[in-house]
Amino acid sequence: MEEELNNHPKSSRRQFLKKGLVAGAGVAVGSSLVSAYFDSSASETGEKVKVLTTDGEIMEVDKGQLKLPRVSIEESHKGILGRKFVMVIDLGKCKNARKCVEACQKGHHLPKSQEFMKVYLLQDAEKTSPYWFPKPCFHCDNPLCVSVCPVGATYKRTDGIVLIDNQRCIGCKFCMTGCPYSTRVFAWKHYPEYDEDKEPYSPEASSPGKEGTVSKCDFCPDLIRVGKLPYCASACPMGVIYFGDVDEDTVTNGTETFQFSQLIRDRAGYRYLEVLGTRPCVYYLPPVDRQFPVDRGFNDLDESIKNRYKSTPYGEKHKL
Amino acid sequence: MENEQNSPIKEFAPQLERTSIQGYAWIIFLLAVIGWGVYAFIQQVTRGHDVTGMRDNVVWGVYIVNFIFFMGVSYAGALISGTLHLFHTAWRKPIIRMAEFITIISLLIGPGYILLCIGRLDKLYYLVLFGRIQSPITWDVIAISTDIFGCLIFLYLALLRDLSTLRDYENLQLPKWRKRVYKILALGYTGTPEQQMRLKRATDIMAAMVIAIAIIVYSVLAWIFSVTLQPGWHSTIFGPYFVIAAVFSGSAVLIIAMWLFRKVYHLEKYILKKHFVAVGVIMLVLAAFFGYFTFSDYLTKWYGSEKNDELLIQLLFKKFYWPFIISNYIGVLLPLIVVGIAKFRTITNITLTAVVVIIALWLNRYLIVVPTLESPYLPIQDSRPEWFDYGATWVEWSLTAAGIALFCLLFTLASKFIPVVQVSELQEEAKSEEVLV
Amino acid sequence: MILMKRAIKICLFLLVGGGAAFLPFPGQSQEKFDSSAKRESKMTLDYLCTSNDTVVLTANLSIKKENEVFVLENAAVVFFASAGSNIKTLGKVITNEEGIAVLTVPLINLPADKEGIITYTAKFNESEKYTAAEAFFAAKPAKIKLSFSIQDSLRYIKVDMSQKNSKSEEVAVGKETVLLYVPRLFSLLKIGEIALDENGTGSLEFPNDIIGDTLGNLNILARIEENERFGFVQGQHQINWGVPKQYYKAEVPSRELWTPIAPLWMIITLIIMLAGVWAHYVYAVYELIMIKLHHKKDKSSF
Repeated sequence: MEEELNNHPKSSRRQFLKKGLVAGAGVAVGSSLVSAYFDSSASETGEKVKVLTTDGEIMEVDKGQLKLPRVSIEESHKGILGRKFVMVIDLGKCKNARKCVEACQKGHHLPKSQEFMKVYLLQDAEKTSPYWFPKPCFHCDNPLCVSVCPVGATYKRTDGIVLIDNQRCIGCKFCMTGCPYSTRVFAWKHYPEYDEDKEPYSPEASSPGKEGTVSKCDFCPDLIRVGKLPYCASACPMGVIYFGDVDEDTVTNGTETFQFSQLIRDRAGYRYLEVLGTRPCVYYLPPVDRQFPVDRGFNDLDESIKNRYKSTPYGEKHKL
Repeated sequence: MENEQNSPIKEFAPQLERTSIQGYAWIIFLLAVIGWGVYAFIQQVTRGHDVTGMRDNVVWGVYIVNFIFFMGVSYAGALISGTLHLFHTAWRKPIIRMAEFITIISLLIGPGYILLCIGRLDKLYYLVLFGRIQSPITWDVIAISTDIFGCLIFLYLALLRDLSTLRDYENLQLPKWRKRVYKILALGYTGTPEQQMRLKRATDIMAAMVIAIAIIVYSVLAWIFSVTLQPGWHSTIFGPYFVIAAVFSGSAVLIIAMWLFRKVYHLEKYILKKHFVAVGVIMLVLAAFFGYFTFSDYLTKWYGSEKNDELLIQLLFKKFYWPFIISNYIGVLLPLIVVGIAKFRTITNITLTAVVVIIALWLNRYLIVVPTLESPYLPIQDSRPEWFDYGATWVEWSLTAAGIALFCLLFTLASKFIPVVQVSELQEEAKSEEVLV
Repeated sequence: MILMKRAIKICLFLLVGGGAAFLPFPGQSQEKFDSSAKRESKMTLDYLCTSNDTVVLTANLSIKKENEVFVLENAAVVFFASAGSNIKTLGKVITNEEGIAVLTVPLINLPADKEGIITYTAKFNESEKYTAAEAFFAAKPAKIKLSFSIQDSLRYIKVDMSQKNSKSEEVAVGKETVLLYVPRLFSLLKIGEIALDENGTGSLEFPNDIIGDTLGNLNILARIEENERFGFVQGQHQINWGVPKQYYKAEVPSRELWTPIAPLWMIITLIIMLAGVWAHYVYAVYELIMIKLHHKKDKSSF
């Protein structure tokens, strides 16, 4: 008897069960079952958000089905209590898939011409290797953009996130010149994508956008409040973007979770242009042991996006 | 009074009373330019700032350049008339009025360009309601409003005696309402010793204040740029540099105004060559200072090896080559040559130099604002040409022209309201000459 | 022999199920929908056996539409536990807006086969728009216990794994790998791994750089994952061995360039300068007023 307990034969059932699905077969068992299923009013609007499930599958969730709470403007000045957010970006894995850019644009109802997350092709020196550089807002601990705003439209919260209140913003664009990382974008005209968002405005959602105001990456506090990672972190197919609370020393990209201090120590994490003293909250892991060569980043790229990199040293060398 | 027959007012009365055909044509032309500017503005308001050439990297373009330029021009009055007043320089008398007018008018037009650059004009009052003290723009708002108020008071103090003269001159062929305005504005000034003393005290104080305020305002404007981290702006010299450049441009505008009014109103008797030379010398000294500051700034950027400084210098010498030469070489050397060498020192030459200087200084402001924004720390990687190559659109140029036209229009109208030369001073001179004779 | 029986059962099940798909269902003849227009639904079932004798079943229901996947909200998912022909309905849960239905079941009176394996099923019935979907998971219940000890000023965590045999006695389970986690904001952070010996016991020196809450409390989870026999098993315990978490909490908001309140020296400087300048303006206006009043006085004295 004891043997039976420990001696289970390996069967094809394991594989069968591991997938755990049987599709297409309805089994009429138990007349007590009444399938009272009805299609909810949250039917497909065509708007989709990509969410990473816990078993590594990327799913596109109908936007109407993913209801995110939106806090008031006053509430958005207070940070999420007891947290301090940090992002770690692994440059060794980035291949310019641009899923982060697209997911962010979808989630924030941005036109294609506005990018909160930008991917650069950088090359630090003549003989160093080029690398893809995804750059969100760094949510600096010494934010120059906040210091120069004349009306207090942008502010830093206790959880480290820097937000913009576009009801207060007068569009003077001083913050855009104040940011040394060219992070902020301006709405030069009214984009039709802004009208897609029918929910009340919240700085935590940075949506709907407004013509004549500044906006930027916001670390998606509305997603954090429901325990989800920001759009970019969820959407990256390579798991390049890690996000977490630095005070509990943990960052995750949805599939892997690391101790932040360990990750930075073991992988020599650094901050971009540290010498400027802005104390960014986004750390980069240098592209050691790359997973892809740089030119993989040009696969399946739109011509207009490919043209961006024409005047980079890499682009000129390879005559893009 | 028989003096009135020979009073200098008699000469100026025609200016105030009538406008010639050319005058009307000029005013209509200016109104047309301003009207076109209004149309451009409406385009901008309805279609969004997209119609300008500004994009996410070069967020400040021709509007801010014009703003700095006009603010700089306002120094003509502030520093020149203020300093000359305090030093009791004799030759200042005919030209002070023009300097003060230049100050006020450009102070009113300059901030208008900021309004053009603001994305949400309907929220403009937030600058006052929610102003943050830590922001250089708030410092600028406070400083400019203080400056406007101070210059208005200073101008009014300087106009007071002329207003009273105009009120007293009975032969003035003007509509009744205008005479009434003179009377109200003259504040009952009759030239009694006590009134004179009070006026003098107030003017002395305000002259000193105006100089101090002008320096502060322009330094604050410079700090808007220099406190950011942008390579090219983050320069410690910007405060004094902007002040010097401002007075420089102010003196050039003053020379042009002097020449124009001398021509149009036939003031050859009052505005003499020595005035042109005097202001020309001011222009020369300032050109030397300006050249020195510019050279110092660019030498430091060029010699040091910082990558972004190098990038900026390269941009200046490749893409912006001719503007750079005109603004920093020709704009500096021409005044030095023309005013410095006696042979070239004629009224026409000095005025032409002033025109070149104005253009050079406008280009200088452009070279300060735009190339830095085109060379940020993170390279601009965009395929849309207007995103990495700023080019002002017709809207921006139309509004620039409209601003200049508005300046000329307000100056013309002001000269029709008050004589462009300080008449009461001339009257006193004439009286004292009579006494002597 | 047992294997054969199991295999036959599954084949029959599939046949019946597959066959049933082609049988007309009561009421289906009234369907106006062409059943080929129905969208294909998909179900996954996650299983977790906790140390307080409960089982957590999580069903994920999604549908495929034109090569894109959507989650299905407001769908009724029914859970069963079965062993052979002994089927017990555990409950019905409606999926939430993320297509997830969760049911927690106490490990009491659940049908188990001779080896103690319980098969759990989550089922979604066919509806107007969507095909039916089903998912299985079979596992034996097991239990993981954590205990903590300090020896020679070193801290240890000890893990014991056991299962109930047919006599309802706890019997040790050996030679498995237990992973240790600490729950974090978005996920679980792995802090260690213990290989159980044949007695079902293992221990590990506790890492001393794990951050807990502000008092240093930690909630430790010990899990076996994706095990053939036991599925996912989890034990948890709280211990005060974490580094106390320090987070920024300003009593008085600091005065910096980027804070709502400006540095004191800025405010003072601004007030002094403004007061100084405007005082002079007031003086100048005063003199002007005096000029006017003087004139009035003069006039009245004539």
